[in-house]
Amino acid sequence: MHRLSTVAEMTLRELVRRRGVLLLLLLMPLAFYLIRRDAYIGQSVRALLLGIAWAVSTAALFTTGAARDLEPRLRLAGYRPHHLYLGRMLGLWVIGLVIAVPFFGLVAVDSDGLRYGGVAAAMLCAVAVAAPFGMLIGAVLPRELEGTLLLLTVVTVQMLLDPAEAGARLTPFWSCREIATWAVDHTDDSYLTRGVLHAVAVTALLVLAVAGAVSARLRRRRHVRQLPVT
Amino acid sequence: MNADQWLHAFAAELHHDRVAPEDIRHVVAEAATHLRDGGGDPWTVFGPPDRYAAVIAESVGTRPAPRPGPVLLHAEGITKRYGRRTVLRDAGLTVRAGQIAAVIGANGCGKSTFLRICAGLASPDRGQVTLAGRLAYCPQQGGTADFLLPDEHFVLVGAGRGMTRSTARRAGRATARQLGWESADPVPARQLSGGTRQKLNLTLSTLNEPDILLLDEPYQGFDRGSYVNFWDQLLRLRDAGRAIVVVTHLLNQLDRVDLVLDLTPAVPGGRPCTG
Repeated sequence: MHRLSTVAEMTLRELVRRRGVLLLLLLMPLAFYLIRRDAYIGQSVRALLLGIAWAVSTAALFTTGAARDLEPRLRLAGYRPHHLYLGRMLGLWVIGLVIAVPFFGLVAVDSDGLRYGGVAAAMLCAVAVAAPFGMLIGAVLPRELEGTLLLLTVVTVQMLLDPAEAGARLTPFWSCREIATWAVDHTDDSYLTRGVLHAVAVTALLVLAVAGAVSARLRRRRHVRQLPVT
Repeated sequence: MNADQWLHAFAAELHHDRVAPEDIRHVVAEAATHLRDGGGDPWTVFGPPDRYAAVIAESVGTRPAPRPGPVLLHAEGITKRYGRRTVLRDAGLTVRAGQIAAVIGANGCGKSTFLRICAGLASPDRGQVTLAGRLAYCPQQGGTADFLLPDEHFVLVGAGRGMTRSTARRAGRATARQLGWESADPVPARQLSGGTRQKLNLTLSTLNEPDILLLDEPYQGFDRGSYVNFWDQLLRLRDAGRAIVVVTHLLNQLDRVDLVLDLTPAVPGGRPCTG
């Protein structure tokens, strides 16, 4: 637990020290929210959720890339792979919440008659999915340009795809839109249930995929035999 | 080189020549008093530190070299190909506790690859590495986090072996001091000079007191004083029973090491020989 919390803490410290990045992480969802503000509030909230998801995914992608050279050293220093990816994920989830909280306040002040619990749940789902999603892209595509382009493609597809289409369920942030629809349009509870289940399943799948990718990269190699000191 | 730097280099040379620590303290204090009272450039008064140290070592006598201990690292038959190019062919190295091995060779001959394979960070196409003890690795580049402070690096790496924050900070600062660096300043790693960042890199490698230390050209960007401190520390670690492998292209340091592995392609497969 000590090792896991230390990695989480250092991930947070690194991100907090990059003030410009933090500012941009806040600016991105704000821009998404404001650009649709003159229209129906539901569109603004959905765009805001995608903005939060994109911001956290991008932070996760770059954090994973930056840690790539350091992780082998930490592995040799006594860390197990799960300390490294879970610790980093924990730090990113905390940062995601820090980003989401002011926007929840903004929606609460700027709108009327929404199911605010639903808005909060949708934000939680966006953050929960975004951290492992960005980390997975960072773990699979070591070059940041490729990773950023893939992230851009996924988020754009997510934004343009009709959520009612069957294929939309395969996109990572479909849950946010479902829960947002429940929160904004006061639809029946099946939207909320579907959304939460989707978020839990996608987060679990992504965490497993990150675990697989990081564990494979930092695995103990078969050619090394470890003997006790004689 | 001012008087302090000369004295430091002189002490390191005496240590290298295996003069007893109490004799080193005594001789260095005497030389410092002489310089303070008489003034003058130490190079003019005493000459180069290594030559004066050799004269002193001959006159006061030296400690016997510790006998090398058990084998801590044994690499055999290491072969590595990148595509159709064979970088390493049947390379091997055996290092015992209390030995320093140098891996030398031209650029691109596989020195860093060999070290990464020994560290278990890369897989060979053939061959095996046997380790008896805890291993640490200092990469040529990277290995630090741009936005973390030196103390935070110490805490992060120290936590890997269950060190408390204060223990890790204290150990890190003490090791950094031996390299002539006061690491307590809250400066993110990205704002450190190349040489200081490399000292951080090196400090992190020795923080957890490994039995086997693999160093990939760790002195890049070091000034002369830091370079002397670096070798001084390596010799101390060797005397403390560590097995050290250092990749180097500075052949003038080979007299300080116990083993040399030359990976130059002209030497088929790399051939370990006594240094």
